[in-house]
Amino acid sequence: MHTIRIQTDDFDLAQEYQLLRELSSTVGAVVTFTGLVRDFEGEGSIESLSLEHYPGMTESLLEEIVGQAHKRWSLIGTTVIHRVGELLPTDQIVFVGVASQHRADAFEAAQFLMDYLKSKATFWKKVSQDGEQQWIESKDSDAAAANRWDTDSV
Amino acid sequence: MITLLFFGRLGDFAVGVPTTMEASTPAEIRTLLAADFPALAKELSEPQVLVSVNKMIVDWDQHLLKGSEVAFLPPVTGG
Repeated sequence: MHTIRIQTDDFDLAQEYQLLRELSSTVGAVVTFTGLVRDFEGEGSIESLSLEHYPGMTESLLEEIVGQAHKRWSLIGTTVIHRVGELLPTDQIVFVGVASQHRADAFEAAQFLMDYLKSKATFWKKVSQDGEQQWIESKDSDAAAANRWDTDSV
Repeated sequence: MITLLFFGRLGDFAVGVPTTMEASTPAEIRTLLAADFPALAKELSEPQVLVSVNKMIVDWDQHLLKGSEVAFLPPVTGG
């Protein structure tokens, strides 16, 4: 059981948690992650963040990533929500929720989903600061975070 | 005809670029664009830029069928 949504609207953490919790009476652990718009490196505060994506491809990639998580760990349910469009500081951007019987599966799968989403899913952020717009550069640390799951030792 | 899409920062370099063209591989598209859009072609040559055909990541020498949608994808920054 999994849900993938790309939307301009905000999401309700409590509601998403509740949906995962109610999937089955065998759910013994729910791990949720929420990513927020924050100030970036450098001086001053950002005015807004604009998120672009590749409709159709993004959904396929997220399906693939979620599918990999379900193969790799024993999961009862997963939810991935990613917002697009114009966002403001402190707004919620991304939600990953994982329900499983035991905590280790939920913890690891949630981290895997975020690491893979950040390095593989077709989203691009543009920041507005001091009246100027600039595309955010990708970080090597994000690629490294995803690569660590490529080993079979996990 | 092949439909062209440019995402993220590549979109800023692709202002005025035709939305369709005839080409047999993504690499050929890059070469054809170099004449009129050298800054864009240079960006497309960055090793981190990926190319997709009909929403699947492919090699730059992938043979293009008529009606394909080719997208040029800079490193992603979601999450």
